[in-house]
Amino acid sequence: MNSGRVAEGSRDVVGQTTETIIGIDTGGTFVDLVVREGDATSAVKVPSDPENLAASVLEGLQQAAADRGCSLGELLGRTSRIVHGSTVATNALLTGDTSKVALLTTKGFRDVVNMRRGVRERGLDSHQSPPRPLVPRRLIHTIDERLDCDGNELRPIDLAELAPVLERLERDGVEAVAICFLFSFLDPSHERQAAAHLHEHLPGVHVSLSSEVLPQVRLYERESTTVVNAAVSPVLDAYLAALDDQLRSAGFQGRLHVMQSNGGICTPEIARRHGVRSVLSGPASAPVAATRIASTHGLPDAICVDMGGTSFDVCLITDGSPRITSLGGIAGYRIAIPMVDIHTVGAGGGSIVEVDSRGVLRAGPSSAGAFPGPACYGRGGTKATVTDANLLLGYIHPERFWGGRLNLDVGAAERAMAAVGRELGLDPAETAYAAYRVVNEAMVDAIREVSVRQGFDPRRFALIAAGGAAPLHVASLADELGFPLVVIPRMASVLCALGGVLSDAKYEFVATLIAVLADVELEVINDRIEQLLAEARATLKAEDVAPDGARFEIHAGLRYVGQFQEVEVDVPRPALDRRLVDEIVEAFHERHEVLNGYQARQHAVELVNLRVVAVARLGDPHLPPVESGAGTAAPIERRPIYWEGMQLAVDVFDGEQDHASHAAIIGPALVEFPTTTILVPPGYALTRDARGNSLLHRAGLATREAMAAVGAPA
Amino acid sequence: MTSSDRVQQVISRAVIVHRLEAITREMGAAMLRSARSPVFAENRDFVTAVFDGRLRMVAQTAYIPVLLGSTPFALEAIAARFEGDIDPGDVFLVNDPYSGNNHLPDLTVVRPVFVDQELLFWALARGHHADVGGLSVGGYNPAARTVWEEGIRIPPVKLYRGGVRNDGVWDLFLANVRLPELVAGDLQCQVGATAIGARAIEATLAAYGRPIVADAVQHHLASSEADMRAQIRSIPDGDYSAERRLDNTEPGADGDRTIRLRVSVRGEEIVFDFEGTSPQIASYHNSTYANTVASCLIALFSVVDPDISMNWGSMQAIRVEAPEGSLASAARDAATSMCTTVTCSVIVEAAWLALAQAIPDRAQALWSRRGIAGVSSGINPRTKRPFAVIHNLSKGGSGATLGFDGWDQLSPVSSTGGRAPDPEIFELSSPHRILGCELRPDSAGAGRWRGGHGGAYRVQFLSATTGVILEPSGVSHDTAPQGVQGGGHGLPAYAEIADVDGSVRRVDQSTIYRPGPGDVLTVELSGGGGYGEAAERPVADVLADVLDDVLSIAKARDVYRVAIDPETFEVDKTETARLRTRRQ
Repeated sequence: MNSGRVAEGSRDVVGQTTETIIGIDTGGTFVDLVVREGDATSAVKVPSDPENLAASVLEGLQQAAADRGCSLGELLGRTSRIVHGSTVATNALLTGDTSKVALLTTKGFRDVVNMRRGVRERGLDSHQSPPRPLVPRRLIHTIDERLDCDGNELRPIDLAELAPVLERLERDGVEAVAICFLFSFLDPSHERQAAAHLHEHLPGVHVSLSSEVLPQVRLYERESTTVVNAAVSPVLDAYLAALDDQLRSAGFQGRLHVMQSNGGICTPEIARRHGVRSVLSGPASAPVAATRIASTHGLPDAICVDMGGTSFDVCLITDGSPRITSLGGIAGYRIAIPMVDIHTVGAGGGSIVEVDSRGVLRAGPSSAGAFPGPACYGRGGTKATVTDANLLLGYIHPERFWGGRLNLDVGAAERAMAAVGRELGLDPAETAYAAYRVVNEAMVDAIREVSVRQGFDPRRFALIAAGGAAPLHVASLADELGFPLVVIPRMASVLCALGGVLSDAKYEFVATLIAVLADVELEVINDRIEQLLAEARATLKAEDVAPDGARFEIHAGLRYVGQFQEVEVDVPRPALDRRLVDEIVEAFHERHEVLNGYQARQHAVELVNLRVVAVARLGDPHLPPVESGAGTAAPIERRPIYWEGMQLAVDVFDGEQDHASHAAIIGPALVEFPTTTILVPPGYALTRDARGNSLLHRAGLATREAMAAVGAPA
Repeated sequence: MTSSDRVQQVISRAVIVHRLEAITREMGAAMLRSARSPVFAENRDFVTAVFDGRLRMVAQTAYIPVLLGSTPFALEAIAARFEGDIDPGDVFLVNDPYSGNNHLPDLTVVRPVFVDQELLFWALARGHHADVGGLSVGGYNPAARTVWEEGIRIPPVKLYRGGVRNDGVWDLFLANVRLPELVAGDLQCQVGATAIGARAIEATLAAYGRPIVADAVQHHLASSEADMRAQIRSIPDGDYSAERRLDNTEPGADGDRTIRLRVSVRGEEIVFDFEGTSPQIASYHNSTYANTVASCLIALFSVVDPDISMNWGSMQAIRVEAPEGSLASAARDAATSMCTTVTCSVIVEAAWLALAQAIPDRAQALWSRRGIAGVSSGINPRTKRPFAVIHNLSKGGSGATLGFDGWDQLSPVSSTGGRAPDPEIFELSSPHRILGCELRPDSAGAGRWRGGHGGAYRVQFLSATTGVILEPSGVSHDTAPQGVQGGGHGLPAYAEIADVDGSVRRVDQSTIYRPGPGDVLTVELSGGGGYGEAAERPVADVLADVLDDVLSIAKARDVYRVAIDPETFEVDKTETARLRTRRQ
């Protein structure tokens, strides 16, 4: 596969004296880079070598330097920051290639992490293997220590008892140790004593404490998260150290930041110690970029979708931030720290189109991947995919795909699709259109999962599309769910890398504090909030993050007394008084109503935990405007496409061609960019905003009316 | 039909079925979020389903499969009782085992969905409540001889009439339970779930129109039926019989407490016939016909293609016959509360052993029965609040199948999606302290593929508690999980109580245990049965279990015929070869 430069919109890369920032996202198929120098932003995409990601990264950087007519050393020499998102930690978990990890836990509780709360998700499927433990039982050691549920010491920790355990850890060649004692979130001293002892006797072994990784109630969740942290931290540590070395020897003198699962970035020192925070490092950054783009239009709420080759990621953005969840996990391992709430389904350009045993047409979740890829790639793939469907429907031009670097084989696509169609009694074009609609429905359902099912109405949201394949489908998704406006970013195909460039530093601090709000002394809560804030300030300072622009969000997890699940609400400012508590409780009642269909005002409300999020701005979070031309867009050709059972002749436009930003292209039309094509269906219109992003909405509306429908200020 | 219409139909069928299934998940998610009892919130002891206007189950989410298979009977009872009196805004409730329920603690809440005054669908949420009054604890009363001693019996009634709360029904019910606030909260949560379901169904009908939705439902049910018929065709014709018995745990139990089952396969039809099963007994183990049907469905669906949807269509080729007044089809006055776990397990065991004769390659070794200790409740002196907690911190092991070891900590089969409580939440809410919660070594049935391990659990009661139901099941060799195809039994379950004064007694009878401060309860559960000969298990897998401390060196030698040095933990290859050859 060729590597190539992909510059969208702003093509004049002018060497500027202002800050140079590079965002890098390493995925399974491509390494994406976005280079921002002052007002100029450009992108590079190179194939990734999963065996040697650092080398692929350097190849991409080399390409970026060549695009600028400078050497790699010159580019890196003037780069102040590199923000890196990678799937290294995720892949380690998915492939089982993690560090050898041991667990120390309270006597009597050896199996909590591997008992998975006694659940098997596909309960009656009797032919499935039990999950492979991340920490096998032989590497779990119990220590005779105990706190009660108020944090009182029932039994002190006896360090002498650790001697035989240390011997075992050494003999077993353990690379990392997780420590998780019962109720340690109330008093971490036993965990700390054990950790100090380990550091002293087993230097070089990574140690993760549950009271540091996730100081929150729920033993299974805390322990599992701590074990994941211990398992991936050394892997990430080694990868980042190697990358840092190579970057520095190539001339980089700036800071290397790492994208975290929570959508913020952190220093490599923190990432290497807290690997669990980076397991969603890659996909978490597209929603960050989407949030920035939405905010330039004053849109508080949006849904970001990222359609790649294999998967479709959906993330809800509300009140100007991507939604965060603590209910997730990776590869069957529970991770209870807050992560950007990304819902993933197997639907993408490479999704295989087939008829299942029940005679129902499917598109995905299985995928042809990059190799052999869709039938039309001509690399030996014989199975029909969504990309083949898009080709047969005329949405993709066979000679202009991927900037013309890959000639698509229409005959191969047709043969593959015909084989599927025969089972349904449909011809290839009909089958392709049915596949197009079925994959759309899978994506619609994924969007519904994060919107409708969480109580959010898509009719109030903008839909923001990332990934090269998305712009062909996104109008149909919007139509089905009633989104008034679709935003297709100028850098849609490299949005994750762009997210890195635009991200803030973000650190989270949690504490469990269970108290009925009507009864508690507010001082107790205020003291705890102050402690968390002090910790947050100290972290920002230690990490050398500029304190200006830093802000601190405070959240409280509340529930009705007697409930088991809390609902999180914002605490607008730190010093609680009774009036502020009333406001918070009011917000809780309303949120409960939205989520669960009722509120119970007669019930007492209880605080369960507190969370402080420290956010520090590291640079300009917005892309600058781009120059726009004058006049109307002129089509470069007219070609037939298949749409809802009909052949339509549509105008095709060159997306790179300048025209007045507000001059609308009316559907049916196709707008081709080097890395993507936008399908404007009949009844839809496309305009462009001042930053070169495309805006898609019903043709009967003016762009500003569509904007207003999703909450943009007039 | 034009080509475009055919395309539209293909799409609509895929979309609508998907959507109805998603609606039942949405209903479940709402229940988990707003629940008040740990039975819902921690244990997920509930199911949700959507039925069409002809009372056919179309879509469902079954955390607790035994609650699901019987839902059609409850809906039929409601529809029959209120024929001509079912209106928009109505919400119905039933818990009577003789109106299609399994047992009293499961409250079934159903809401009809109308379009233009025509009843098109039903949204159903059924869940196990922490209390239904009477002498029961958590809905169970081991001393019950008839249904009247198990709690309040609610025939089909209206909780809401045309959208207006039927206060009399709520007041009457809540006056009969000990934890009214908690029970009312969970009932409200069920009503909310049916409202969410109904709204989503209405939106689907509005988006697609009735004919297209009806076509999709019909197509889905018909193809599910065809799928199941194809699966049954793959089972050789014949009659296959097996029997399993309940443990003798009642004072004065007469001994004949046996489920006798003949599974007959003819072409694409299957019949589960319980002729010869013991008559119903004066204890809470009797299975209602609905519960027996649900148990047969579990047994069958767990050995066929797991992708087949459980709905009206896939149930059409299955018939269940059980003599009225027997343990498998209790008549009007029998107590039934233990039928969803213990008796369901026993029925599933008999069915699996019968099916194992027909399809040995798909045979399922038996699972551990129920977890012995049930719910405890009362007032927690530390928080001064009412509490209810579930004691299934330890669960039993599941049985092995061809190619797969059983799973640790999973049983009973009636409730595969039921979650164990979190130990910290458990101690924070109840006046109990957990002394241990780990896997029980040597509990798994041996085999080429071994069973999963059971859990071992010890809890200390810090203050007096209303009571804990103790139901020792699978406590003898012949009631413990049996292996198949030469696989071994799981270790029988065991429980004991150590009083604060030091006296220890074994739990061998169904009883309500009322602990005093300082008492310690120990529960050790069975592992699942094994599949295939133990001596054929790869040596490396045997060694792995020894290294993980779940298999003793003695059992490795005696049962698996693998010699392991107790000092170095190395396999003695010569000795192992000798042991393994001698056996052949």
